[in-house]
Amino acid sequence: MTNATLPEFSLPSVAGAPVRLTDGPALLLFVSEECPTCTLTLRRLAPIVPSLSATGLRVAAIFEDPLEVAARVARRTDFPGEVLSESSPYDVSRAYSLVSLPTAVLIDGGGRETGRVVGWDAPGLEALLSVSVTSEPPLRKPGCAAKNTYDVETLRALDGAGLDELEEMFELGWTDGLPVIPPTAERVRAMLGGHDRDELLGEMAPSLARVTLARVAACAVLAGCRPEYFPVVVAAVQAVLEPSFNIGGQAVTTQPCGQVVVVNGPVRETIGLNGSVGALGPGWRANLTIGRALRLVVSLTGGGFPGRLDRSTLGQPGKVGLCFAEDEEVSPWEPLHVSRGYEARQSVVTVFGADAPLSVSDHRSTSPLELARVLGDAAGATWSPNWWPLGGTSLFAICPEHARSFHEWGWDKERVRSEMFAATRRPAGSLRWGETTPLVGGAPDDQLVDKWDRPEDIVLVVAGGEAGRYSAVFGPCLGMDATVISKEVPWST
Amino acid sequence: MEYVSPFDERRRAAEPLAPRRPTLEGASVALLDINKRRGDEFLDRIQELLHSRGASTFRITKEIFSKPAAPEIIRRIANRGDLAVEGLAD
Repeated sequence: MTNATLPEFSLPSVAGAPVRLTDGPALLLFVSEECPTCTLTLRRLAPIVPSLSATGLRVAAIFEDPLEVAARVARRTDFPGEVLSESSPYDVSRAYSLVSLPTAVLIDGGGRETGRVVGWDAPGLEALLSVSVTSEPPLRKPGCAAKNTYDVETLRALDGAGLDELEEMFELGWTDGLPVIPPTAERVRAMLGGHDRDELLGEMAPSLARVTLARVAACAVLAGCRPEYFPVVVAAVQAVLEPSFNIGGQAVTTQPCGQVVVVNGPVRETIGLNGSVGALGPGWRANLTIGRALRLVVSLTGGGFPGRLDRSTLGQPGKVGLCFAEDEEVSPWEPLHVSRGYEARQSVVTVFGADAPLSVSDHRSTSPLELARVLGDAAGATWSPNWWPLGGTSLFAICPEHARSFHEWGWDKERVRSEMFAATRRPAGSLRWGETTPLVGGAPDDQLVDKWDRPEDIVLVVAGGEAGRYSAVFGPCLGMDATVISKEVPWST
Repeated sequence: MEYVSPFDERRRAAEPLAPRRPTLEGASVALLDINKRRGDEFLDRIQELLHSRGASTFRITKEIFSKPAAPEIIRRIANRGDLAVEGLAD
């Protein structure tokens, strides 16, 4: 290939728009995730990429892998150059007559290949690039076969391109990492149920995408929703689009922030949404797919995709989706939506920016005050154990046995939260280490500090199976100036 | 197979970068504090370094770090500043 004129090409880039590499000088690194030598090469070259770039040399890794795989490997290897993705049948690799990976191809300013190095070959790369690469062993390591050398049948078997629409969804990146239902025009039409596909619900940060009913319906199909769930998904999307929910902040924060959806009213029964045994876990299609549909709108349509603009340090399972019903029939108390000003007959979605649920076992308390303190102390540990006051909302899923005990002891919902608020105070001196608040830092040792700004920041919802004294508290998402938002389900199914 | 995309497929044209200044001498530099803990310490040091290179600085603070800067803040930076430095924190 040396001195031959190189083909022009354009490939999808992790950075966004497709990238054309028509002009040099450039160093093209053909690699694949499946080849350990490629990972080694990227990791070893990463430190010298900035100095190469400073000389005007474009450095691009071309992965024979899907874009999300390329992004992951580039991140793991700290590779700072451009990251491009080539898909089957690997025409670019074919044009460059690749035999194995990694292969480094150097292109001059006139677009001609001036040399190449095959495999990991530190001395070879030093000669090619006229820079010091590394003296750390191994200095040489052979790589793997380039995928463009595979025969057609093998390629088909490997990537299923054009044969398997489920795999195609992964290729497109229309997924949260789990298999999805492809949003065909027919399925989306059925999901819309005659509603205007172009109706605009709002613009969603961080991508500032226009969120239309058709895009929400596409996400609902992808998530596995039945069409009768769709108005609940729409209500949840309308709720997170309220500016005071600050979905843009929640979607990109390093916190483990998910969007928890609580549903009240008759729609729970209509669509089979579970508020009883296992309400926060697996087993119920409506729960799992509605929560997931909302998260797909946030991460795909809205652009808050993990590892890209969503920078959540650890993430958490609730970021896949978390939706449950309040068990109004078992609860001795007024349901959440009624407490928030709706009528019992209305179907209402309430969304919270929240951390993963923390289970609270209590089978031993013999008074309401004891139980309130146990629940309050568990909430005290959320966010960070010494961060008082929290400055946010704590959502509690109170199990039926705990709710019944409070009721039998004569405490209504207001009493439970006001007593919990009062019982969870602590002296500032006991909180003055690690991550603590300015208020604690400036208070006398014996000053009592509240965990919440006000009792209304404690939200109690009844859910769970009839047996077992396990409630749960969701830690808050902080620093977002975010409020809890309710929306009535916009149409009945 | 015809699919309905979950994405807003509109493409925005890239905004051209402002011309680069050859020197900091005489530049007015906006120091944007996003209102996160210890961001001011970072900006204090940047301010020292900028002053030592002949630039003048002015501070602007966002209302909250997790939301976009208000249009008024962006307008003030654009009107007064030749350059802007944003201080992240934690």
